[in-house]
Amino acid sequence: MKQPTPYDVIVVGSGAGGGMSAYVLAKRGLKVLMLEAGRDYKPEEETPMFNTNAEAPLRGVSTPDKPFGYYDATVDGGWTVPGEPYTTAPGDREFMWWRPRMLGGRTNHWGRISLRFGPYDFKPYSRDGLGVDWPISYEELAPWYDKTEKIVGITGAGQLGLENTPDSPPGILHDTPTPRLHEIMMTRAFEAMGIPVAPMRAAVIQKPMDGRSACFYATSCGRGCSIKAMFQTTTVLIPPALATGNLDIITDAMVYTVDMGKDGRAKGVTYIDRVSGAHKSVTAKAVVLAASAAETARILLNSKDGRNPDGVANSSGTAGKYLMDTVGTDSGGHIPMLEGMPSRNDDGMSGAHIYVPWWGYQQQARKELPFPRGYHIEVGGGQRMPGMGIGDLADYSDVPFGVGLRQQMRHHYGSDIGFAGRGEMIPNDDCYAEIDPDIKDRFGIPVLRFHWKWSEHEIGQAAHMRKTFHEIIDRLGGRVTYGFETDGEKAIAAGGEIIHEVGCARMGADPKTSVVNKWGQAWDVKNLFITDGAVLPSNPDKNPTLTILSLAMRNANYLADEAAKGNL
Amino acid sequence: MSPYVSKIDRRTALKWLSAAAVTLAVAPTMARAATYVKTPKGYGTDPDMLNPTSPWDRIMTDRQLQLTAVLTDIILPAEGPHPAPSAIGVPDFVNEWVSSPYEQTKSDQKVILEGLDWIDAEAKSRGAKGFVEADASLQLAIVTAIAKPDASAAHAFFKRFRHLTLGGYYSTPEGFADIGYIGNVPLESYPGPDAKMKAMLEERMKAIGI
Repeated sequence: MKQPTPYDVIVVGSGAGGGMSAYVLAKRGLKVLMLEAGRDYKPEEETPMFNTNAEAPLRGVSTPDKPFGYYDATVDGGWTVPGEPYTTAPGDREFMWWRPRMLGGRTNHWGRISLRFGPYDFKPYSRDGLGVDWPISYEELAPWYDKTEKIVGITGAGQLGLENTPDSPPGILHDTPTPRLHEIMMTRAFEAMGIPVAPMRAAVIQKPMDGRSACFYATSCGRGCSIKAMFQTTTVLIPPALATGNLDIITDAMVYTVDMGKDGRAKGVTYIDRVSGAHKSVTAKAVVLAASAAETARILLNSKDGRNPDGVANSSGTAGKYLMDTVGTDSGGHIPMLEGMPSRNDDGMSGAHIYVPWWGYQQQARKELPFPRGYHIEVGGGQRMPGMGIGDLADYSDVPFGVGLRQQMRHHYGSDIGFAGRGEMIPNDDCYAEIDPDIKDRFGIPVLRFHWKWSEHEIGQAAHMRKTFHEIIDRLGGRVTYGFETDGEKAIAAGGEIIHEVGCARMGADPKTSVVNKWGQAWDVKNLFITDGAVLPSNPDKNPTLTILSLAMRNANYLADEAAKGNL
Repeated sequence: MSPYVSKIDRRTALKWLSAAAVTLAVAPTMARAATYVKTPKGYGTDPDMLNPTSPWDRIMTDRQLQLTAVLTDIILPAEGPHPAPSAIGVPDFVNEWVSSPYEQTKSDQKVILEGLDWIDAEAKSRGAKGFVEADASLQLAIVTAIAKPDASAAHAFFKRFRHLTLGGYYSTPEGFADIGYIGNVPLESYPGPDAKMKAMLEERMKAIGI
């Protein structure tokens, strides 16, 4: 059957990479078909703004149905997707894989932290001999960070001049809201340790732009945002792309293969209609994969045919390889200094207003630290909307029940703080995804099997994080309440648990050791592009989404240029 | 004390009140694929968040629910403008929690229901008709005994029951008013802590030398 619309490009996925790719390509005048595995989703209509925990089942706590809580903007997913399993190789450490099934993907609930990778981050091998260098430099990506930040809307204005922590050019970023009480206190303690603190760079707009309202400092961003203050592709990129008339979207379309033509070019993709179970093929002049790093690898590896026995775009054998996550661990403390402080509104822009960029580059250059790469610190605390965790405050009370307990609860409310480290993982040969030889999903498509092993670099970093948190809590006169263990092996979060999984189809300068070139274009298939986190050759501590968006913008423009020249 | 009357109807009537005013959105009907696999008896992986329901049957006996009402109010008695837990439906929440089909609440189901039956039997063994009917001094004596930290099942019950009572209470607007949570309101700009509060913090930081 002939397709009614001849498409220039098929974009697989609607999250950061797919959303930005479709936005750029549609604006450039190409006819685009976006395929999303999950259902249609409209934050303007569905977001539970202002709802209290008391209105939710079980006060909104995490359940297997909603692992980040009832109001989390994740549809039909989480650590498991019903009927769509993944496996971990026997004997390996567990790998956890967060997947939603909704338009916009994980941008609907993401943490919004938007840090630029720095100059060192693009050339890590040249600095310490570990991992690989990127085929591009910071200077090459910087203009695309500028353009992306202008569309996304990000806080953190100011010129800090910190090492390997790039400032944006003046005029691009919005001002970060003023620090909360506990953030003022933490800043003082970090500075007493000689550690600089920075205003948070978060994708939450502080002034109206492009039909979006400014943040009104209430209701948690993780639920999504009906006023469009926080960045979701479903409110910021997909609507203007649709408005060009050049974008069609099919939801519930689970893509599982790239279909190859006899000429060695991709001719389209095949997907399963998740509602009817029907298999459907669509064609276009080019294909963009942005299904999320591991899912993109799954599609490549499942696209086997006589000419591509190991999957499409995999002559290097590196598809699925060099999977990375972020090193994570956390600790919390109870701080007597914060007890009995007056009520204040600590909602702010939901996430923290400060963060601590990595401060140890010079120490590492002098080999004074037992781990080679950096981490940043994220902070939490304050008088936030009470949920079930509030019951723990009774543990601080000298009145176990009855008259006096209410006073004790008020006294201790808002005096707990928390720290989370987010560090760079170095790619290694032991962390990768492959097709499970036995297990298939409910559609009959082979699933991924993950292999995972932390190296001493990550373990050492996790131990340092915990010790740093304990020192800060001690300097604040508090005591540690969770995250005691300082053995990095035990303190480190599981692979994938920080939900920054990247790699699996890395870019490089050499077709023998990478899947795509510096434009995200497959070495083996010139009309096949990858624009999600799969292309990252390394995973700096600076959360990947802003870089995925910027690379997608740059590489989708390259695709449009090549299409215009007739090179695809 | 008059018997506890379930507040379910009132609680489920609380629907997205403040949100409608600022978002201009009306509660939508959401189309969903019927083929999605739901967790048996739970609210599913794609619940209607604007119209929440906890669709499982409640398993407490009326006696257990009455006992829960008395006990929540002993743990957090009414004070001034702040109502008792039983006045704002907290016992229904405890029932919802122990009745849930999810794994996380299964251990609470056992601890709480057995604890309620135990505390009733304890009151009987001390000469009352039951815990609900016992006079206030006996109720207080029993709760004081189980509130003392030790390794007993009775103390474990007290801790979990208190946790559920406090979580259930302070997550409500009435609980917000008591504990001092003043957020969840849209603001033109974010003020941060006021000067007086910052000065208080400054003094406290100086006192510990930072």
